[in-house]
Order: sequence, then C-alpha cells, then structure tokens
Amino acid sequence: MPTTTKTLKGRSIVSGRLKGTALVSQKPLSFLGGVDYNTGVVIEKNHDLKGMALKNAILCFPSGHGSTVGSYVLYSLVKKGLGPKAIVNQVADTVVVVGAIIADIPMIDQVNIKQIKTGDILEVDGERGTVKIKAKRN
Amino acid sequence: MYLTRQEQQTLDGEHGWANQIAMKILVRLGDLYGATKLIPVQSAHLSGVSYKHLSDAAIDFLNELADKGGSAKTTATLNPSSLDTEYLIKHYSQERVSQQEKIINLYSRMQIRPTLTCTPYYIQKPKANQHLAWAESSAVVYANSVLNAWTNREGAPSALAAALIGKTPNYGLHQPQNRKPNVLVKLGIKLQTESDYGALGIHLGELLKDKIPAIDGLRGSVDELKQLGAAMASSGMTALFYTQPPLKSKIAETLTVERKDIEDTKSKLRTTDEKPKLVFIGCPHCSFNELRTVALAIDNKKVRDDTELWVCTSRHIKNKSSRYVAIIERAGGHVMCDTCVLVSWIKDLGLYTLVTNSAKTAFYAPTLNEVDARLEPLKRCIESACGA
Repeated sequence: MPTTTKTLKGRSIVSGRLKGTALVSQKPLSFLGGVDYNTGVVIEKNHDLKGMALKNAILCFPSGHGSTVGSYVLYSLVKKGLGPKAIVNQVADTVVVVGAIIADIPMIDQVNIKQIKTGDILEVDGERGTVKIKAKRN
Repeated sequence: MYLTRQEQQTLDGEHGWANQIAMKILVRLGDLYGATKLIPVQSAHLSGVSYKHLSDAAIDFLNELADKGGSAKTTATLNPSSLDTEYLIKHYSQERVSQQEKIINLYSRMQIRPTLTCTPYYIQKPKANQHLAWAESSAVVYANSVLNAWTNREGAPSALAAALIGKTPNYGLHQPQNRKPNVLVKLGIKLQTESDYGALGIHLGELLKDKIPAIDGLRGSVDELKQLGAAMASSGMTALFYTQPPLKSKIAETLTVERKDIEDTKSKLRTTDEKPKLVFIGCPHCSFNELRTVALAIDNKKVRDDTELWVCTSRHIKNKSSRYVAIIERAGGHVMCDTCVLVSWIKDLGLYTLVTNSAKTAFYAPTLNEVDARLEPLKRCIESACGA
C-alpha cells in the first residue's frame, strides 16, 4: 500500500500527542442521544456512523450538536475505555471542548476533515494543532 | 486572557483541586473563544443530574470535586433527575434510586440547590442584561431570547465550573457584538399550535446550526416561544433568536419557511401511528399557565386504563397550582416534579409509544428513550389519553 504523508494544520484545543486510526463522519454528532453511553456505539438515526464504535478511534466530525449533557457522556465513555482517543473537528463546540478537557484527550479543530478518510492512520498533535496523515487507506 | 492574582492562584492549584479544575475549564474555554477576562455571574444552572445520562464515571468526578473543596460561589440550580419522589421512585430498582440520590447529594454538598427543573427562570427570573452561566439548552435559549439575559450555551461541566468559581469568561453571547441576528427568517405561514412552533424549531435548528435568526412574523406567547427555542436547541446549536427583524440594520441571508416545511418536519417526528402507552406534557417543564391549560382541557374527562398521562413541572409551580393539579389527578393523570421523560427510563416501564406536544421530546425520544413518538398539539394529546 503506497503511503502519503500530508500535514493538516488546525488549532490546538487540548494538548497530547498520539497515533491512531481515523473514524470520519461528515455529519454533526450529538453525544447525548447520538451515542450509546453503555457501548460507545453511534445510535443517532440517519447518521453516517450509525452502528460504529468510537472506541480508540481518532474521531473526526464537523462539530457537536444537541444537548449539553454530551460533555459528561464523552467523559464517561473515555473513563470506561469506550471513547475516542482524540477528536478532530471542523468547528469546536463547547460541549465537545469541555468533554475533551475533563476526559483529558487531545483535541484540535479548524481542520478540513474532508481530507481524511475512515481507516487513515493519523498522528494528532494537540499542542501544535496538527494532524499528520501517515497512511492512506484505499 | 487577563486573570487577577487570585484567579491565577486558583489556576495554579493554591485553592484546592476542585477550584483548580473548575478554573482550568473556564480559562481554556475563555482562551479558545476570545474572552478577555472572567466576569461574575448572577446564577449558574447545571445540567448533568439524571443518573440515566451521567452514569457512574461522572459520579466519581463529582465525588472528587465535592471531597476536594468544591463549593458554589453564586446561586446555582439543578436540572431534572431521573425520577420523582412519589411515583417513579416506586418503579425503579434500589440501585437506580440510590445512585440518583447520591448525585443530588453530591451537588447539595457543593451548595448547589436541588431545584430539579429545566425551567429555573420560573423560580428566579433573571433580569434583562444580567450575565448567567446556564447549561440546559432550552433554558439558555429562553433566557437569551425571551428574558434578554446573557448566557452562553454552557456544557454541564462548564456550568458547574462557573458555579464553583462564581464567574464565567466574557466571550460569545456575553459580548453585544455577538448577539446580532445573522439570518432573516420569513414565515410564509401562520402557526396554529404549540406543536407548530416546536416543528418550526426542529426545522430551523437543522438548517441554522449556531446562527442567530430573526424570525419575521412571529407572534407567539412566551410558552410557544419556549417550545420553539427548545426545539431549535435540540436539532441545532441555537442559543438566541429574535422575534422581529432588527430596526436599524439589514440582514443579507434570508430563509423562507413554507407550510410544507412544517408538515414535513411533523411527519419526520412521527415514528408511530399506534395508540400511545404514554401521553406526555411538560417538556420543557410546564409553566403555571400551561398547567392550567392542561387542567381545563382534561376537566371531567378520564384517562384510559391502558394509557398513562404524565404532566411534568417544577415543584415550585406544582406548589402554586394545587387546584389545577387536583383536576389533572382526578382525571387519572400524574403531575410529576423533579423529572421528565427524556431523563427517565420509560421503556423499562413498558411505555413503548408516546404522544407529546413537545417537539424536543418527539425529536429525542426515539434515540434517548428508544421508544416511538408522535408530535401532536395539547388538544389531540388529551384526546389520545382519554378518547375511546
């Protein structure tokens, strides 16, 4: 598999640097109601990630929406080991930002997530606000 | 962001862990969203109360905060919990009841009042231009749009952080230049019922995301505007809307709403045609007027044996409306405080289908409660509960 390395520049929200596999959605996500907090699986109706587990993914989606209890759901999922390990947003929404701060997972925003595909191997640097695409998945 | 010496000391951990983590949340958000300083808030309203949503990991977090010195520095109130102390408490397991009590006690230990309602503005109405730090998206949009108070749409933990510090960063809707409408919505239709207002809200929220609409031709009562705002804040990120176009400035972006948009939204919010197991009024919690309207609509009727009617409100409003409460209960309905459908386990009670006049509930129930739902105006809801 040919690998392309590309660096996307965004804005730092929560620091931390790690590698992982991208799970990409083109739709806004509500952690309250949209994600089952017992399993970490997306349950939002008509969502492009419906049925997918967030566990250990670098979760890339445009922004959060919906009820504000969503921050605690993100915190809970991460504490139980069922949450994403990092978050990449186009536009950071307070619900997701605070969730990432208290769950203590790296987060960046202002990234054009259309450049990322599910399955890509990413390196997220929450301090610099960058995402490196280490390997593209075909 | 400018911090006073004392705020900096709190951030550095000199006033304990609870204050430090609270300050970290406020300062991080403030830096991200362009705040210049922290400002005092008149009150904080917290979501994140129902055990159904919080789960045990969040209890650990609250426990640590309470143990390590967390204590409210401003008036702080709480959203609904997963049960009431008269009806639902008898139907849930001991584990659920005790975990729910534990959460409320943890907040109480931090001097946060167990009001257990999503409508804190009926207990203490914020004045125009007062700064608040509120979570609960329906209360945020009501405070900004109907009461003209100023609050961002806080997350549960950021409202908790503001309660513990007594301040909030002055970004977003705390700045006048960020409160200007940026979409003009033209209503080509007349809205008839509260569920029309709710359906409009779901439709607009999906289209507008976090934009601030000025809705031309909107003539609703405060209770109808409550339905509209709650719905917009559910399908979108709306925190503020206006009921008329601005006098002095022009808005470039325009959006027109037709009758078809409302009807299409209503059919999206209808996942069942079946006779409901539950008829639910009170999302957001009923005002005094709404409780009276329900009582007048159900007087001399009887809820069918195979159906439950729940009317949810705050303890504050229930205590003020004993006459209307008596009428609803005589008809066989439950007037419940401290809770609502969305934050409770209705599926476990065998209530698989519900009819409601709340678009917010109709929008959320299929995912939050895993039950089928249908949006109908109050009159049809009462017919569903009492009809043949």
